[in-house]
Amino acid sequence: MVSEALSFILQLLIFPGFLFIICLAFFSEWVLRKFVARIQNRMGPTYTGSGGILQPFADFIKLLGKEDIVPAFAERTYFTLTPLLCLTLPLTALFILPMTGHRALISFEGDLIFLAFIFTTLTIMVFLGGFLSGSVFSMVGGVRAATQLLGYEIPFLLALFGPAIPASSLSISKISTWQAQNNAWGLWTQPIGFGVLVICLLAELELLPFDIPEAETEIVAGWNVEFTGRRLALVRLGRDVELVLASTILADLYLGGPQQVWIIPPIIIFLAKMFACLLLIGYLKTLFARFRIDQVLSGMWKYVIPAAMIQFIILKLIW
Amino acid sequence: MIPTARLGLLRWARRRSPWIIHFNTGGCNGCDIELLAALTPKYDVERFGILLKGSPRHADILAVTGPVTNQTRDRLLRIYEQMPEPKYVIAIGTCAVSGAPFWDCYNVVGGVDKLFPVDVYVPGCPPRPEAIIQGFVKLLEKMEAEEDE
Repeated sequence: MVSEALSFILQLLIFPGFLFIICLAFFSEWVLRKFVARIQNRMGPTYTGSGGILQPFADFIKLLGKEDIVPAFAERTYFTLTPLLCLTLPLTALFILPMTGHRALISFEGDLIFLAFIFTTLTIMVFLGGFLSGSVFSMVGGVRAATQLLGYEIPFLLALFGPAIPASSLSISKISTWQAQNNAWGLWTQPIGFGVLVICLLAELELLPFDIPEAETEIVAGWNVEFTGRRLALVRLGRDVELVLASTILADLYLGGPQQVWIIPPIIIFLAKMFACLLLIGYLKTLFARFRIDQVLSGMWKYVIPAAMIQFIILKLIW
Repeated sequence: MIPTARLGLLRWARRRSPWIIHFNTGGCNGCDIELLAALTPKYDVERFGILLKGSPRHADILAVTGPVTNQTRDRLLRIYEQMPEPKYVIAIGTCAVSGAPFWDCYNVVGGVDKLFPVDVYVPGCPPRPEAIIQGFVKLLEKMEAEEDE
């Protein structure tokens, strides 16, 4: 009993919990920066550690040591709460996604709904943090984040719940196990859903075609314009964890998640799938230029939502 | 200033992750294009961890181009004051260094150092991207020497 509890705490704190996820987040940011730089015919971070691998870590440490400013017009509570929740919400979500084996660290029937709840809360926190920072630019950024939510929320949920139908379960662990055992990856059985989920995750992560809430060339730095020092460090780390979360969702719900192949342990297979999804996200991010907010909304409602619904209808006809 | 400023790890991190904000005080755009060339693929200063940031709240280095005019004086000061400590200033181009041909114009204050201390001067009209990168490297060396004292 005691050893079980101890092993659970170790799992939660070190592997595949807190420490592992943070390291994975830093590593993913480096992979993404390097990958984007190579596509753009640049070198990317080079001299910090071997091949610049320590660059995200150096950024994080530097930001921790900078001056911490709270603007006079900012709402202090939310100004502090937003960066904290930006980090803790995606971290919590990663605990319910299977990484090392068939079962996630914490797994219960209906954790898919919990995941959807966390994503919506995240955007609402972004909106509140931007709106209450007391700067015009962050206010515009926050409102844009909330407006964008109206566009991608519905197809996102449809694509998120699509894989639950054939597996007839709302538990992420059970869905990925079902896909791995029956060799019916979501990517092959419902390809439209996969595409819709990728698009919506790009919007959720505020990556390039949908980086409207941050839009550096329009509204300075969007909703995080006023964050400095420690707060900015947490926001940035939260972004990295979200990146890991997005690729993990794709790997678990549409690529069968961690599965044993021959003698290769599940975690290696999982990491391979996760980084494949990460590179796909990075490739799309580099490929596109930013849309306008009205283009995003009309595009989502005209094309992406019907696509997600058609996928759902096809799914219901087959299963 | 900050009690942890003398920690080795922090000094290492600062030297490797200097983010810049670019401000044109009313120059002719020559230096701005050269600075952009230093940021874009051919010279790519992201190799050193240097990123261009939009918000003064996120930046460590203020890169100023152009002579300071009476119009932009207050804006430049406001941007400088919005940056969190520790902050550094790099003056790019002869105009930002001294005011250059405009030094005695009726509407020009002069070089950036009339307003606040400048850490590195990069003269040239405009300076080549190599010279700007050299300026950044000099600033990084200065940052390291400063905290060793």
